Amino acid sequence: MSNTLTITIDGRPCTCEPGEYLYDVAERNGIHIPALCRSDAFEDHRACCRVCLVEVEERGRRKVVTSCVYPVERECAVYTNSEKIIEERAVTLALLAKRAPSSDVIADMAREAGAAAGGAAGFDRLVTLDDEKCILCGLCVQACDSLGTGAISTVNRGVDKKVSTPYDEPSEDCIGCLSCANVCPTGAIEYTQDATSRTIWNRTFELAFCERCGAPMGTKAAVSRAAQQTGIEEPHVCDACRKKELADEMMRTYRYV
Amino acid sequence: MINGTDKILVCCGTSCIANGALDVADALEKELAERGLSGDVSVSVTRTGCSGECEQGPIVRLMPRDLMYYRVGARDAKAIVDSIDGTPVKKLLYRHDGQFFEHMSDNPFYALQHKVVLKDVGVIDPLSLDDYRARGGYEGLKRALTMTPDEIISEVEKSGLRGKGGAGFPTGRKWRSAAGYDEWPKYIVCNGDEGDPGAFMDGSTMEGCPHAVIEGMIIGALAIGAEEGILYIRDEYALARDHIQHAIDDAYEAGILGDSVMGTSHKLHLSIVRGGGAFVCGESTALMASIAGRVGEPRAKYIRSVQRGLFDKPTVLNNVETLASIPAIFRLGGDEYAKLGTGKSKGTKVFAMVGKVKHTGLVEVPMGTTLRTLIYDIGGGIMDDRPFKAIQTGGPSGGCIPESLLDLPVDFDALTEYGAMMGSGGMIVMDDRSCMVEVARYYVDFLCEESCGKCTPCREGLRQMRAILTDICEGRGREGDIELLERIGRTMQDASLCALGRTAPNPVLTTIRFFRDEYEAHISRKECPAGVCPDLTRFAIDAQACTGCGMCSRVCPADAIAGELKAAHAIDPDKCIACGSCREACRFDAVETTRRMPA
Repeated sequence: MSNTLTITIDGRPCTCEPGEYLYDVAERNGIHIPALCRSDAFEDHRACCRVCLVEVEERGRRKVVTSCVYPVERECAVYTNSEKIIEERAVTLALLAKRAPSSDVIADMAREAGAAAGGAAGFDRLVTLDDEKCILCGLCVQACDSLGTGAISTVNRGVDKKVSTPYDEPSEDCIGCLSCANVCPTGAIEYTQDATSRTIWNRTFELAFCERCGAPMGTKAAVSRAAQQTGIEEPHVCDACRKKELADEMMRTYRYV
Repeated sequence: MINGTDKILVCCGTSCIANGALDVADALEKELAERGLSGDVSVSVTRTGCSGECEQGPIVRLMPRDLMYYRVGARDAKAIVDSIDGTPVKKLLYRHDGQFFEHMSDNPFYALQHKVVLKDVGVIDPLSLDDYRARGGYEGLKRALTMTPDEIISEVEKSGLRGKGGAGFPTGRKWRSAAGYDEWPKYIVCNGDEGDPGAFMDGSTMEGCPHAVIEGMIIGALAIGAEEGILYIRDEYALARDHIQHAIDDAYEAGILGDSVMGTSHKLHLSIVRGGGAFVCGESTALMASIAGRVGEPRAKYIRSVQRGLFDKPTVLNNVETLASIPAIFRLGGDEYAKLGTGKSKGTKVFAMVGKVKHTGLVEVPMGTTLRTLIYDIGGGIMDDRPFKAIQTGGPSGGCIPESLLDLPVDFDALTEYGAMMGSGGMIVMDDRSCMVEVARYYVDFLCEESCGKCTPCREGLRQMRAILTDICEGRGREGDIELLERIGRTMQDASLCALGRTAPNPVLTTIRFFRDEYEAHISRKECPAGVCPDLTRFAIDAQACTGCGMCSRVCPADAIAGELKAAHAIDPDKCIACGSCREACRFDAVETTRRMPA
């Protein structure tokens, strides 16, 4: 294609389309940039964890950018491990590790980044929050919004920011689908499930069961929401049984061919 | 002779209202009515916007004699009315070195200013469209209506106008980019979410001359082709909002706004959106998110608002003062406006000067005026003639500037080289009794509450900075804390998502840069040299200097000071909460501070 660009990332030439996000270009070319608040599930990224920072040299000027949302528009040289980036990534991850001391994922990333920056000396002075895993990346909110549910949001601002349902009350909009918990990079969203129900965000949901095999298919609310949104009839059997049914049907149809 | 041309201007800015200006205006009207000087005849009372020297309010000015009265009370009404054609009321005049001065221009606070944006503020009735028009209002718009969008933008480019909300982005270039996008509708938005502690420039402008802001918005809308505009005004500015709404209504009625702007085919509809009181919503992308009903959080700005702003449409967002500068540019001409100011900072800037300076208030000067002129010539120097220590400029994004840099010109670029910034125009003057570590902690604390909390470096960096600074102020500072603060600060400057986060460490980094010894005293000697931090400071009364006036014991909130009148007083260290009220109150410098903790 005529308007393809060639940029260098850590000295390696990479081709891309104008407007493509830098992070995507790097990943496609096998260059890994650490990131926390970015998920392939979404087109837009919040750019708030600030872990995917890289340095870009463009028209003779060097600047720090967030690779997950930085659109490549012209030729440039990208450095994912310059001295500056190593230092700033170490500080950012140290800050996150102190915020979410209960998260092993973050602790590992912070240790690695700290080691690259010449040790974590000095960071032990920082204060930690109790029992916290959430890094406020906002992926849960993004997931909930993208489903059109909108049951959770970030609330408060500044250092008191958190993710919650409106007024911390059980939300009428929540369908207990677990999208938030599944997308969370640190496993910070807790839920419990027993034989007949699931509890998340202070609300308990009845489970729907497969009429054939009896396996749980998610919450009744989530199953009927999915049916509503896709416009198909509410399923009575689970995915596995539906596939099996389909396969049996095919077998019967083609048995004599 | 009272001949029908006399006017009494009563400053009814927020500050003067708080000091009873509305009662003064009522009393004056009553007095005039009693003398048969109201109604069709003679003297009218105009309730104006902020006239500037807030600390001396309520301020009353008699025109056309130009008699300026300060600290007026309702009880002075009779004497003031007498003075319309009689001798001035001496006790209300400006006094300096034992002499009395009658005119506004006799007061250096006013004489050294150059009013462009504030030309009509404090002179006209902000609720009167006729008043605004009588002083050239909407003449700029009339001229703009004869021009093409390209000519309008060129005129603004010629003026050299840059965004006065603090960022200093060239206004003409912003308009030109927005005009260049062929996507509709486009929006023009006025940022009236002024939130810096101690800043009240934009609030006073909206209160005192709302039509100037509206006229600027109309011209901007013509330039970019917007047919809808929104004024985002912070919730706390009730008076500003009322005045802007009143002005919008009047402008619709007069055919200035609406489906036909002044009889032309141009359309413009303006409305107000009330901010919810979040400081971060002064950031352009957070502001637009807030208008659109989303959480007030900034977004990464690799795609600019002029391309994708409000409701993802091309949007120009200008600050109140920027927009209020536009009418003058079209009335005087861009070249004329560009004669004011310095190399890359043209025109004037409005400052809200507060703190330990003799004359606090609203000041407008040409860009490039030095801090020394502002503080000593216009502001009259430091209160009680104490030594100057620092001036905090640019609010929580700015920095603290020491005495050695007072001769720097204040413009968009000079202060930036020293890690501070001119910012939106808030200025807090501090004397030797200000602890710079405590000042840094104050701003970090403010930002801990007011950061949106979206990105890691800003939210978590501020949390950690607050903890470290609190430790330092309370005597738990450790070796290495300064370096750690600098390390976190540098990462915040580079890695934060928006300008609020990138500038948030400025108060800390500038105080470390210019007052490092003060940090070191707190950390290694457990001493607060300014005698402010309660955990490090012990207060005592110098028996030699004490006159026994009793002032200190009256202001002490802890009943910790005892003594007979006219005899030396003493502080009970067990009761003393080290608040410093006694030191503030003592007029004989008899309250001393010493170290509380062993080094």
